[in-house]
Parts: sequence; structure tokens; C-alpha cells
Amino acid sequence: MEYFLIFISAIFVNNIVLSQFLGICPFLGVSKKIGTAAGMGLAVTFVLTVAVIVTYALQMWVLNPYGLGYLQTIVFILVIAGLVQMLETVLKKVSPSLYQALGIFLPLITTNCCILGVSILVANATYNAQGLEPNLLTGVVYAIATSIGFALALIIFAGIREQLSKVSVPKSMEGMAIALITAGLLALAFMGFSGVDHGIAVAAGL
Amino acid sequence: MKKLKSNMANMAIMLTVIAVVAAGLLAWVNKVTSGPIEAINNATIENGIRSVILGDRDIRFTVDAPVEREGFVFHSVNDMNGNLIGTAVESTDRNGFGGDLKVMVGFDPEGVILGYTVLEHSETPGLGAQADGWFRQKSAEVSEQSGIVNVLLGAPAKPGNHNIIGMNPGDDLLVVSKDGGEVDAITASTITSRAFLRAVNSAYKAVFGYSAADGVSGASSQNK
Amino acid sequence: MNYFKTITNGIVKENPTFVLLLGMCPTLATTTSALNGFGMGVATMFVLICSNTFISLLKNLIPDGVRIPCYIVVIASFVTILQMVMQAYVPDLYKTLGIFIPLIVVNCIILGRAEAFAAKNNVLASVCDGIGIGVGFTLALTLLGFVRELLGNGAVFGFRIFPDSMHMLVFVLAPGAFITLGLLLAIVNSLKNRKA
Repeated sequence: MEYFLIFISAIFVNNIVLSQFLGICPFLGVSKKIGTAAGMGLAVTFVLTVAVIVTYALQMWVLNPYGLGYLQTIVFILVIAGLVQMLETVLKKVSPSLYQALGIFLPLITTNCCILGVSILVANATYNAQGLEPNLLTGVVYAIATSIGFALALIIFAGIREQLSKVSVPKSMEGMAIALITAGLLALAFMGFSGVDHGIAVAAGL
Repeated sequence: MKKLKSNMANMAIMLTVIAVVAAGLLAWVNKVTSGPIEAINNATIENGIRSVILGDRDIRFTVDAPVEREGFVFHSVNDMNGNLIGTAVESTDRNGFGGDLKVMVGFDPEGVILGYTVLEHSETPGLGAQADGWFRQKSAEVSEQSGIVNVLLGAPAKPGNHNIIGMNPGDDLLVVSKDGGEVDAITASTITSRAFLRAVNSAYKAVFGYSAADGVSGASSQNK
Repeated sequence: MNYFKTITNGIVKENPTFVLLLGMCPTLATTTSALNGFGMGVATMFVLICSNTFISLLKNLIPDGVRIPCYIVVIASFVTILQMVMQAYVPDLYKTLGIFIPLIVVNCIILGRAEAFAAKNNVLASVCDGIGIGVGFTLALTLLGFVRELLGNGAVFGFRIFPDSMHMLVFVLAPGAFITLGLLLAIVNSLKNRKA
């Protein structure tokens, strides 16, 4: 049940893009078509899950025991950059079809702050684990839930922008300005979910 | 100087050198700043205890070593004769607007709230963060909050009932007025207010048992 | 190379927020008040100037093949130094900005300037570029924070202007960030269109 709550909370209530402001660059950059948005969402899910496992392991078994906590930022970003490179090479060899689908997004992911951000949140146990012990399992569940939230926001936004491209917009509003305002309205809609996770928790007697 | 060629040896050497220098530099900065960081963390707790138990009173006191139990941290404060003045409890609620809300609440031996302070929060900055002043605001202070425009128009804000200092959660658990309680929530921050009051209530329960009606007196369940 | 021009270029013509549209995450997330926006801007400016300086100094020593990892190490080092210094001396601001301090590492402005400017120019010019872009970013964040704080919280730099009952709360919440930035962009665009 708690795991379900993590999903609800990370996808709807505290959506990574629309309420936590992580991963805004790809959210605004690769959201012109639903197809590319879905590809990006899938790539982020994939990389984020692997990155969280690797960085969590590093934090627990290397950084913490040797008192190297201050190297967290530098180690994590290098690991993520390396990981993305490696995934690209492996995917190319193992599954060319998947590589075709995700390949072009992988280089963009290194600088996607939601990967580093979520890795740090999980390693520092500062995410909302809905009362569960923050360990590797809850961390991974949280990471997957977060990336589904990311993909959902991206796909919805891409859908709106596809429609938006067919209407005429005041000249000054064209491009990013109207996109940002649309994103604002989407965020407003997602605010309607606030408190839902707590409500479910109460209903389930937690 | 000519640019170094991208052969294997050059690349490996330069990357290693830069990484080692960076790590060394960070280790040094870490050593320099770890002292001040620890001092600040200790000072936060110490000032917290002082302000939530003593408030404006100026008396000498001693603090027992902190006791940790079930996620709460207790600091018992005694006067110089060894009599208990009050207990400061660090209490966390996990369902604030943005996650954890950590407060320190001071109770006298009867369970009356002496003071509180917000230690950590992930609420909307400048909004949920208002909790630090809101729940100890006396009605007289409200007009100061009303802003220039209101003062010019001569219409001060209407006083609300949100001062929890002096209340005793043992008589009645603290509940926001929206949920049928007595305490007015922070304007437009009901979720934060609920989380805050839950943290205060659970701090009370952690020190005094479940409620005064259970017959658990303050002193007997006092953590030693 | 006109150093003064390099600085003003970063503030106006290549303003990272309103023109280049880079570094959106901290821009939207930390501008709930003018002071927070200002703090974030200065923090980013510090890292930007330091990384620009060092990358410009080291540009001939760094082989092209490992360029990006080297830049990342340099940037991440300065971010970590900033993190520790802020924790020690301005703990309140550090707590408010939270996760967005370590995330300066992945702020595309910094890596972008390292690639586009510092790797090609001398040290002094790179410092000027860092100052220009940094000031441009800080001004943009402060402006955004100013508008959001005024509309959403009725205050400016913590000083109360409107009474409690006159807040449009949504502006300090997440949707307000997007909408305010969108409207400011539209204003900038319309000024540009009028000039053209």
C-alpha cells in the first residue's frame, strides 16, 4: 500500500516537473511531438532507475564508510555521465531497435537535472517515502514513480503543444512564452491532486 | 603553448591529474568548513531549546543529554536545583506540503506549550515557512502584518486565533478550525498547518502518553 | 576584444534567461521571493566565474577527447566548495535553495559557457563573460522573484506592501513560476519586436 502511495504522490501530487521543477529543460525542449516526448520519457525511466541503484550503492558502500560525503556531487555527476555513455554503447550492441528509439535522447540526459536531483534525493533519504524506511527498494520505487510522472507530464504537454501549433498566437507570445504559460496551467491542474495521497493514506487506515 | 593532443596517455593523465587535484582541494575545504558547520548545527539545537523552553525568561538552566526514542529527540531542561522546567521535543511530520516538517516544541511538566520553533521544512518558501511566526502570534501583533496599503486605507487585518503558546494538547488535541478545531490555519497553507499541528500533538503524546484522560501523568512517562 | 562589451553582452543581448532560455530549473524553482532569486543568481555567478577562469587557464592542457569530463570535474568541484561554504556561513539560504545548489552542476549555462566561450578565449575575457552572464542571470532571477513575491505574497524583499487578504497565492506556487516567466518573456519579446 505504501508503495502505491509513493506512486500516487510522485506521479500526481508532487510531480517532478510541475511541482518540483526538476527536468524542465527536456520538458520545454523535447515536447513538440508526442512521439519524441514518449521516447524521452522512456529513456529517462531507464537511465534514472539504473542511476539511482548505482549512486545509492556508491553512497552506502563507498562515500559514507570513508567519510567522503563531500565528494557526492562530483562522484554522482561523473557516474551518471559515464553510465549514459555505457548504456549507449551497450544498447547499440544488444538491442539495436531500442537504441534506435532511445539513442538520440541519451546524450541529452546527462544534463537532465532530474537524474542527478533524484539520485541525490534518494542517497540523502530526503524524499517522501510515505512512512517507509528509505532504503534501496523504496528508492528504486520512488525513482520509477518519478520517471513515470516525468513521462506523463511530458506527453500531456506535448499533446497540448501539438494542438497549440495549429492556432494563431499573438506575436510576442509565440514560442517559449506561450509554452510556459501552458505549462503553468498544466501545473495548476496538477495542483488539484494535492492532498490526495494523504486522503488515500487515511482511507487505507495508515 | 600548443594544445595537448588527444592521445590515450595525455587524456588519461590529464583527467587523473584534474580529478586528484579537485579531490584534494575539496578535502581541504571540507576540513576548513566542517568546524563552522558543526558549530552552527549545535547552536541551532541549543538556541532552539533555549527559545522553546525559556522564551524571554532569563534563568540559568542545565540540559540533560538528548535521548532519542521512536524518531523523537527529547531534551530535558532543569533549573540549577535539578527541578524539571520543561522538555523540548524534536518531532517530525512526514506529510507537509513538500515533505518533512521538523519542529521543536517545548512543554512544561504539565504539558502546556511553552514555545516552538521550526527546525526544517520543505514547504513553499515564504509561505509554509510562515509557520515559524504564525502559531505564536498574539492578536495585537496581527495589525503589524497588514502591510502599507492596508495601513494607508485604515483597515487593519482582522485578528485570528492561532496562538498555540499556553495551550495544552492534553486537554484538547490541536486541530485547525477547518477540521473543527480551535486553531486558525495559516492563510492558504492548510496542509502545512495540519502537518505542523500533527507534529506538535505527536510530540506531546511522545512525552506525556496518549492523552491526559489516560491518566498518564507528565512526570511518570518523562524520559530519563 | 572589448571587455566591457563582453560584460554587457551577457546582461542584455545574450541574457541567459530571457534570450538564451537556459537554466530553467533553478529559474523557476528558487524565485519564490526576490531574495531567494538573488541568492541563487549569486551562487550560480560564483561557480560560473570560477569555472570560466579555470577552464580558460587549462584549455591548452586539456585534450579534446576528455574535454567534457574535465569540465564537469572542474565545475563540480566549485559547486561542492560553494555548497560547503554556504552551509557554514549562510545556512538559512542554503536550506532554502536546497537541492538546487548541487544541481548547479547540471545547469546548462555553465557547461555551455565553458564550451562556447572559456575554451576559446583568454582568461580576462572569460572572467568578463562569467561576470556578464552571471549578472544577467542574477538580474533575471531577482526580477522574477520580485514579481512573484509582490503578487503572491504581497511583499518585496520580505517588506510587506499588500495586506494578507490581497495575495494571489498562486504566484508563489509552482504554476505561478511558469506563468510569470511566460508573461515576462512575452514582454521582452514585444519590446524587441517594437525595436525591430
